[in-house]
Amino acid sequence: MNPAVRLARVSFTYPGREAPALADISLEIRAGEVTVVTGDVGAGTSTLLLVAAGFAPRLTGGVLTGVREVSAVRPGIVFATPWTQLTGLCHTVAAEVAFGPASQGAPVAAVREAAERAMDALGVRHLAARDPVTLSGGELQRVVVAGALALAPDLLVLDDPAAELDPAGADALYALLPGIAAAGATVLVATPDHARAARVAHRAIVLAEGRVAADGPPALTLQDTDTAVIARMAGCPPPLPLDPAALAARVVR
Amino acid sequence: MIGYVAGRSPLHRAHPYTPLAAAGALLLAAFAVSTPRAIGLVVAGAVLLALAGGTGRVILRPMLMLVLPTWLLLLVLHGILGGAPHVAFGPVGLSEPGVRRALVLGGRVTAIVIAFLTALGTVSPSRLVEAMTARGVPFGRVFLLVSTLTLVPRMRARTAAILEAQQCRGLRAGGSPAARLRALVPLVLPLILGALAEVDEQVLALDARGAGTNVRRTALDPPPDHVAERVLRWLLFLGVLGAYAAKFAGRGA
Repeated sequence: MNPAVRLARVSFTYPGREAPALADISLEIRAGEVTVVTGDVGAGTSTLLLVAAGFAPRLTGGVLTGVREVSAVRPGIVFATPWTQLTGLCHTVAAEVAFGPASQGAPVAAVREAAERAMDALGVRHLAARDPVTLSGGELQRVVVAGALALAPDLLVLDDPAAELDPAGADALYALLPGIAAAGATVLVATPDHARAARVAHRAIVLAEGRVAADGPPALTLQDTDTAVIARMAGCPPPLPLDPAALAARVVR
Repeated sequence: MIGYVAGRSPLHRAHPYTPLAAAGALLLAAFAVSTPRAIGLVVAGAVLLALAGGTGRVILRPMLMLVLPTWLLLLVLHGILGGAPHVAFGPVGLSEPGVRRALVLGGRVTAIVIAFLTALGTVSPSRLVEAMTARGVPFGRVFLLVSTLTLVPRMRARTAAILEAQQCRGLRAGGSPAARLRALVPLVLPLILGALAEVDEQVLALDARGAGTNVRRTALDPPPDHVAERVLRWLLFLGVLGAYAAKFAGRGA
């Protein structure tokens, strides 16, 4: 399958900064897969999402070097803070979710159908008549994700999407991602939630200081990352993986 | 209270353009007339508008907060410090032309404040969005207008949240004027910086949902615009036109 996003030696620097947020990134992100991007704070995970979706530097400013090829035409984006993603123009959840399809000029019936489908997928249909500003953070985040899904994006980037959700809400959100990818979309998630990410992702990319530090199957890559973090916190060098299956996978790879 | 207050008054049920047109007509009329008696009629028109909107009690406090200092300043500046002839008013000598001028200027400000507080209080931002969208107004203009109309309530909500957060950290917002002034710094800085940071994310979220395209948006629930209201708006327009024609013909009130 052709890559949905191809980055070749891409570096990106925000306006007013000297150090690049991304440095010499080369990778291909395939359509139909859930790819998790993780790393320490400031590693460049959010920036990688913005660059991959074509929002940076178009809307953020800054300088991008290298080659970026994006085949997606309908990128959707979800941030960690839902209240910054409200349009501020819609006084019902239904109108908020329908905002994207309405912006595309679709017929009223199609707009309503897309919004209802997205609300059903996120379990927020019962909130349809509520004013978004009266919702809890978790409810609001589900509404925001529904708003992104209503557009049927072919590239969905989610930046720590479960930060405002309770455990059940986070589980439900992550459980949706493989289905979205199976429908042909490319799903790119930046998250520190390795446990949930490992359950749904096809691939994990670990960034460190704006560079790719690891890239591979999530079970192995994220486990190694967690082990390294724990080891670093404990002040000792990372131990070898003790799980025989993981060890075998590492040898085979 | 400055901002929309839900209600069932005729102005609430009217097409959003009608209260705005009435407020605009009162503003223009206030500048078309130049005698205390005529400005009194314009103020009476604004009060009638407020009564029709059922917002009298709601807008009273902000109206007085905005208008009273203006009246005080105008009466001192023109009434006491104005030119001859003066008439005795208790221990004070009042300038006759100065008082007339203060009445006209103060009346203008009062009429404009009452009219626009009423329009803000009765025009639902979401209905206005739908009405403008149905007329094919580009999203950028809709967003600019509605963001401006909803700015005060949004900033108030944000200020309250920041105040609560800072009070949890030991900020004392009361006390002497100097202490109150000092308390402004930890309020104003997060307010401005937070608003700027959120704008970045909101731009990305709106762009991803198609807000920046040139496609004509679909209006999902446009408010009805009855013939009577359209006629009323035309009459208001013609009335204002007539007032200016009389003014420039030298027969203005």
